[in-house]
Amino acid sequence: MDASTSPLDRYRIAAEPFYQPVDNEVSVFEAAWQHRLPVMLKGPTGCGKTRFVEHMAWKLGRPLVTVAAHEDMTAADLAGRFLLGPEGTMWQDGPLTLAVRHGGICYLDEIVEARQDTTVVIHPLTDARRVLPLEKRGELIHAHPDFQLVISYNPGYQSAVKDLKESTKQRFIALDFDYPEPVLEAGIVAREAGTDTELAGLLVTIAGCTRRLRGQGLDEGASTRMLIHTGRLVAGGVPLEMAVRAGIILPITDDADVRETLGAAISACLP
Amino acid sequence: MTLPTASLPTLNLAAPAPSAATPFGDELRRQMHGRALLRASFEETWQALRRRYEPAALEPWATGVLELAKVNAGPGCLLAFWRASVTLGRRLPPDALGAAGLGAAGLAAANVCRAAGAPAALAVIEAFERIAERLDAEAQRRWWTMMTATAQGAPDEIALFAGHMPTLLARGSLAEVEAFATAGRRAAGRDRARRRAFFALEDPLSRRLLARMGAGPGFAELEVGLRRLLAALWGDRPGFPPSLQPLPVPEIGDAPRRANIAGPVIRLPEVFSGVTGAASHALYRAASAHAGAHLAYGGPRFTLGKVKPVQMACINLIEDARIETLAMARFPGLRRLWAPFHVTAPSAEPLAALLLARIARALFDPGYQDPDALIAKARALFAERSDRLDDPALSFDIGTRLANDLGQRRIRFDARGHVVEPAYRDDGLGLWDFGEENAERTEEVELAVDAARIERREEENAPQPPEAAPQPEPTGRARPAPADERGRIVARYPEWDAQAGLERADWTTLREVEPALGDPRTLARALERAGPLRARIARLVRAAKVGRAVRLKRQVEGHALDLDAAIEAAVSRRVGETPDERVFTASALRQRDLAVLVLLDTSESTRERLPDGASVLDIEKLAVAMLAEAMAGLGDEMALAAFASAGRDDVRYIHVKRFTERYSEDGAARLAGLQSGLSTRLGAALRHAGEEIAGVRAFRKLILVLTDGEPSDIDVDRPSDLVADARRVVLGLRARGIDTFGVTLDPGGVGSGAAIFGTTNTMPVRRIDDLPMRLSELYFRLARR
Ligand SMILES: Nc1ncnc2c1ncn2[C@@H]1O[C@H](COP(=O)(O)OP(=O)(O)OP(=O)(O)O)[C@@H](O)[C@H]1O
Ligand SMILES: [Mg+2]
Repeated sequence: MDASTSPLDRYRIAAEPFYQPVDNEVSVFEAAWQHRLPVMLKGPTGCGKTRFVEHMAWKLGRPLVTVAAHEDMTAADLAGRFLLGPEGTMWQDGPLTLAVRHGGICYLDEIVEARQDTTVVIHPLTDARRVLPLEKRGELIHAHPDFQLVISYNPGYQSAVKDLKESTKQRFIALDFDYPEPVLEAGIVAREAGTDTELAGLLVTIAGCTRRLRGQGLDEGASTRMLIHTGRLVAGGVPLEMAVRAGIILPITDDADVRETLGAAISACLP
Repeated sequence: MTLPTASLPTLNLAAPAPSAATPFGDELRRQMHGRALLRASFEETWQALRRRYEPAALEPWATGVLELAKVNAGPGCLLAFWRASVTLGRRLPPDALGAAGLGAAGLAAANVCRAAGAPAALAVIEAFERIAERLDAEAQRRWWTMMTATAQGAPDEIALFAGHMPTLLARGSLAEVEAFATAGRRAAGRDRARRRAFFALEDPLSRRLLARMGAGPGFAELEVGLRRLLAALWGDRPGFPPSLQPLPVPEIGDAPRRANIAGPVIRLPEVFSGVTGAASHALYRAASAHAGAHLAYGGPRFTLGKVKPVQMACINLIEDARIETLAMARFPGLRRLWAPFHVTAPSAEPLAALLLARIARALFDPGYQDPDALIAKARALFAERSDRLDDPALSFDIGTRLANDLGQRRIRFDARGHVVEPAYRDDGLGLWDFGEENAERTEEVELAVDAARIERREEENAPQPPEAAPQPEPTGRARPAPADERGRIVARYPEWDAQAGLERADWTTLREVEPALGDPRTLARALERAGPLRARIARLVRAAKVGRAVRLKRQVEGHALDLDAAIEAAVSRRVGETPDERVFTASALRQRDLAVLVLLDTSESTRERLPDGASVLDIEKLAVAMLAEAMAGLGDEMALAAFASAGRDDVRYIHVKRFTERYSEDGAARLAGLQSGLSTRLGAALRHAGEEIAGVRAFRKLILVLTDGEPSDIDVDRPSDLVADARRVVLGLRARGIDTFGVTLDPGGVGSGAAIFGTTNTMPVRRIDDLPMRLSELYFRLARR
């Protein structure tokens, strides 16, 4: 395929996105890519799922089409629809169709947010058939050999109402993401926020306190993303305690008692 | 607060007409001059007071004395009152106690005499003389109010209570003593022996309350936060967060209590005596973190073997230093938490306890200087092993060696009286395995005996407030009893006593009352009249049905274009077909899984009439009827209940509509039949409502309470206690996944709604006429979440 004319060109990632491997996720993903197997990234918010896909897309030299799923998303939002033009109707490919046709990685972020009847459009794409039927157009697209589907999914949010269908789940290779080991995470925070490793380490210790409160007053612990934001505040000159308050304590809970306890635990972390 | 009621003495008609200026003073002098026994003392008192006060200013005082004479308080009381008047008048500045204050005291003492007799009044007057200096004028008035109330509630015990007054007020604030008196009257009820024991400070409850005075916030208030703190610090370790339990406070005069670790349980004193406010908070945190560090970094328990008490104490000390050092390596800020408690300093006194505290400080605080060789040795030994701090055996080794040195110096160690310092540290008993087979040996170790004492006391005190008979059934389970006119007893529920800081088991009795049937047509007519409102609610019902994001495509009307349908329609038109006009999207109700219980307060305050003649209860009924219609329209699970109370033994609960039945004519008749009356013991009713809704299977459970937001009951002096109790129930229900919302009829906007339900879960209704609309709106808002 002539890359210079592909409509996916604007989805190409030019520079290497920094990604710190945590486990063997890179090699597993590469193996899945070899066979174009669909991949599901599971893990809490802000732990590097999006960054990982970007990195892999860059590494494999494929364009990356990202779709953030939401409740109102319909199959047409993924596959495409007719638009009215001066000359009559014209078809416009949806993001999924683009990737299928021209061979890119399609990343469906937070797939559980979409309704189940939307999610089923990916079924024929993610089994041996690798096809996408566009009923409206009466077209059956055979996926480009370089097409791959990646979805992400945060098991923490899932409730009885929001979960993936069994038949959807079982089509994917799954990679489990979590916040990396403290040393690795500190390295990531230091690099992304531009702080020294000592401060980054401290932020990671603090994050540990919040993560242990999951289910004990907090729904989720502080994410790597939160630590990076807080680190940036400090690097920008905000005093540490103030930054921790603004970057972690206040966003993470509205409960005054929990905030107070969190304050005490965080104070125990600070030198 | 008002003065105890006492009418002015009626004057003896036979007496000479008093002069206009000082009628009571004149009358008093006339009467006293007629009593040989009292004449001289009276004159002396009168002269002394006259030197301080103008005759006119002495009028209230004279009134008080006349009243005392009138209730036959007897010469003893009068003499005591006069003596108190002179000494206090001399000792206190007039703004703290003037002649008017003395007069008020006399009137109040007369009331005590009326309620409990002359000896009681004498005791109270004498107590007043001893404590008046501690109280300002306003506090003195409160004190007399408390004494009068206690004299009425506990006439045989008021003298005992008065006798202990100096002790009580030395320990606690007036407010705490007031709470103590109330708790005593309440807890003992009609049980005279119990009441006597309570006010004699011999009852376990009164000892506990006394020990808690002048301390707090305590375990009950801080527990949740402490548990979270431990989870935040070490929650990833096995056994975390540990269970936290309260230790009953030691009685007055006993050694202060320390935290105690028992296996996976951390036990903390109910309060740390004499520690209040932020300091108490800090001490609890320090103690929890220390105990948590033991659980996180401790090894298996040491075997007691032949270890002597002094060795044990030293080993504990080193183990404390070891686990704290490890904890601070990970959480350096813990040093800030613990440091303020290490305050001991070098001293020449050869006391083991002091030396131990100094070693503790030396191992904690590198900057601490102490010339004693033992301190240097402890530091050196500990430093030697600093690379192997993971090994608890080092505590055993170093501790044993230090104990030997203490022994060689012939420093006596008082095992029985030993209290671990600093105060945040645990008693160390949890580190030891006393061994079953070693029972005899265990008894030799006095510390162990101490431990046993803790267990025993807890058995006496902890499991239940003593007044509660042991209940085989779990709390709140129905224990059917024959119905009387007040209804069938179906459950007993605990109640939170905010003043005592404890939960009283089986404190309230809940009765289910057969509903009276009213005329459903009155309600139907009211609904008719409220036509426009009803239409609005009907619209809300429709909105709720579409409020959930299930998209309906190809609708005739809707909030957005259905793009695909629109395009198809456009295509059809171009090719000359008749286009399908259904080109909109709408949303429809996603499957709802909601159960709602509406709890209706029918207490006396709902009898109030509005200008149009309807009572508050009428509007409540209308509001509920509308809501019931709406809910039936949505197919939500729904129940209606009403409550009122007449004391803790009589909390009434009426099922207007149960979850299991349909809302029909019958339900409407029962709703129409509700009558206003009695009081509002909200907590008990909420507990029962919670039981009712807990049995329903639903994803989301709501209790909507319709109340004036002011819990009260005939046997409760301080409504704030019932507010605190209701708050506790609301929190408990939330923990069980049941949300409680208050719609409070609160025209003034001053009610306790927010204090009970929380600000976001309260909807104060200022205009009662708005109630039906607001109630339904609230429901729809909640149902959408
Ligand atoms: N392993 C990693 N290597 C490099 N950066 C990382 C890594 N993990 C997290 N980050 C940083 O954390 C930030 C948040 O990660 P990312 O946006 O990928 O989270 P996510 O898992 O996709 O979260 P969400 O589920 O909320 O979308 C990234 O911008 C990146 O800076
Ligand atoms: Mg992401």
